[in-house]
Amino acid sequence: MTATVSAREAYRLELTELAADDQRIVCLEADLGGPSHCFQDRFPDRFLNLGIAEASAVDIAVGLASAGLRPFVSTFATFAAFRAGESVKLGLGYLGAPVVLVSPYGGVSGAWFGPTHHCLEDLAVMQSLPGVRIAVPAGETETREAIRVAAAGDWPCYVRLGRNEVFDASFAPAGRGAVSWLNPMGGDTCLVSIGEKPTALCQAVTEDEPELGHAHLCWVDAESLALALPQLAGARRLVVVEEHRAAGSVASTLALLLPDHEVRSVNAGADWPTEGGNHDETLAALGLTASAVLSAVLKGKK
Amino acid sequence: MDEIDLLREQATRARRLVVDMAASGVGCHLGGSLSVVDILVAAYAVARSQPGTDVVLSKGHAAAALYAVLHEVGVIEENPAPRYGRAGSPYTGHPGPKVPGVRFPTGSLGHGLAYAVGWALSRRLLNRPGGAIAVVGDGELQEGLVWEALQVAQAKRIGGLTVVVDLNGGQNDGYVSDISPLTDLPARLAAFGFLVTEVDGHDIEKLLTTIVPTDRPIAVLATTVKGKGVPATEGKAGSHYVKISPARARQWKAAIR
Repeated sequence: MTATVSAREAYRLELTELAADDQRIVCLEADLGGPSHCFQDRFPDRFLNLGIAEASAVDIAVGLASAGLRPFVSTFATFAAFRAGESVKLGLGYLGAPVVLVSPYGGVSGAWFGPTHHCLEDLAVMQSLPGVRIAVPAGETETREAIRVAAAGDWPCYVRLGRNEVFDASFAPAGRGAVSWLNPMGGDTCLVSIGEKPTALCQAVTEDEPELGHAHLCWVDAESLALALPQLAGARRLVVVEEHRAAGSVASTLALLLPDHEVRSVNAGADWPTEGGNHDETLAALGLTASAVLSAVLKGKK
Repeated sequence: MDEIDLLREQATRARRLVVDMAASGVGCHLGGSLSVVDILVAAYAVARSQPGTDVVLSKGHAAAALYAVLHEVGVIEENPAPRYGRAGSPYTGHPGPKVPGVRFPTGSLGHGLAYAVGWALSRRLLNRPGGAIAVVGDGELQEGLVWEALQVAQAKRIGGLTVVVDLNGGQNDGYVSDISPLTDLPARLAAFGFLVTEVDGHDIEKLLTTIVPTDRPIAVLATTVKGKGVPATEGKAGSHYVKISPARARQWKAAIR
């Protein structure tokens, strides 16, 4: 399966298709949806660009959800997690309103845009809110699947996306609570990849180290991870690779869920990338590379 | 007895319940609760007559007034005062969705108005009757989120929205006029496309005719007295949060007419 569009565009296309059959769906943007939007073209009455007003957008979505509508709100990850953070806490967390936040520019996918547009902390924020489901899909197909799952559910969701890069995922989405095995277990160590770039890094590593298992996860909130745990039971050591800081990472959640396993984390570290460069170069500046993954695998081995 | 007299009696009884909550052992935001009682009584009377209309107390610290009025209008069956602030009770110091009749959690200021904008917008999207009456405090207007929500309401031409400002002049640390004065408020709200009306916030009859949501967003600037109804607290910024003894509560309740 070859991707032809970015995950960000896949979101727009999938939501537009779903809205044809689901009159509850409302698409809210906060001035970051682009000058033309396929949802607006087909359903102008259910599309609202609310302007640069992220906290209001989330609160308004909560109001719409309380009336039985299914609002999707899109804004960059850092604005969703921090600018609108209290709205998310109260509306999606405390109230449990079935609002779906779809957030491009996750991690450092904003690259040369700089730290104001990066978000290496969003999963920590969302993970700390009980009841919020979190998806980090990789590629068009998995993104479409995640949007379908989010639309069909009756719970709050956070869907983290990248920027505009097209990620060619060569696997079928496993769905919530399941693992996509990108490389079978050949020993006791399993790479666990979250998101597009970490998945690509793990794929590169397993080409050279085929005995390493490679499990890709899309749904990474604690509740969804718990459902997937039995599929990871065969591994003694998990090396979790993710574009996020260590605090609040998926690795930290898995470590709590699997106290008898060894969970290692390959993450984006503690620096603030202050130089230009593309996404890969920004990740390299943070030390999130294939060699870092390999080092984590080999750590302690003689 | 006509409807207005009945509503005035509701307000009187609600004020006595608010005083009971100030004597709960944990105290309550008394001044802003007593100032907003008449506004809430009028708002729920309007909501009763307009199906699909939701009242959102954005100044959620006036929870005692909300619980008292919801009890008086029959939405909360039990008297909330004895359980206010106690373990196992939904009547917390700021209201949440476990309380009958409360749809949104408020107390962190500014959010209630934005929820109300969303609810009003839902009427349009669902082609259903009704609207939203958001009750905000004057101190609350210092929150950026309020003006963000007003901007969205204007830009998206969201009708069916009434914003009632409880102008009691007080806030946590003192008087609004000392801390962050609200200059030219009528003109500022009019500039956001709201039809602005200035009323006595204790005149229930007048409130009933001015706060009904219409196609055009409405802002009602309701001048009130902080601590209204209890002579010992009226107009005093120090009445913002009060904890009193049961004996004092009996005195204060007797003074409420």
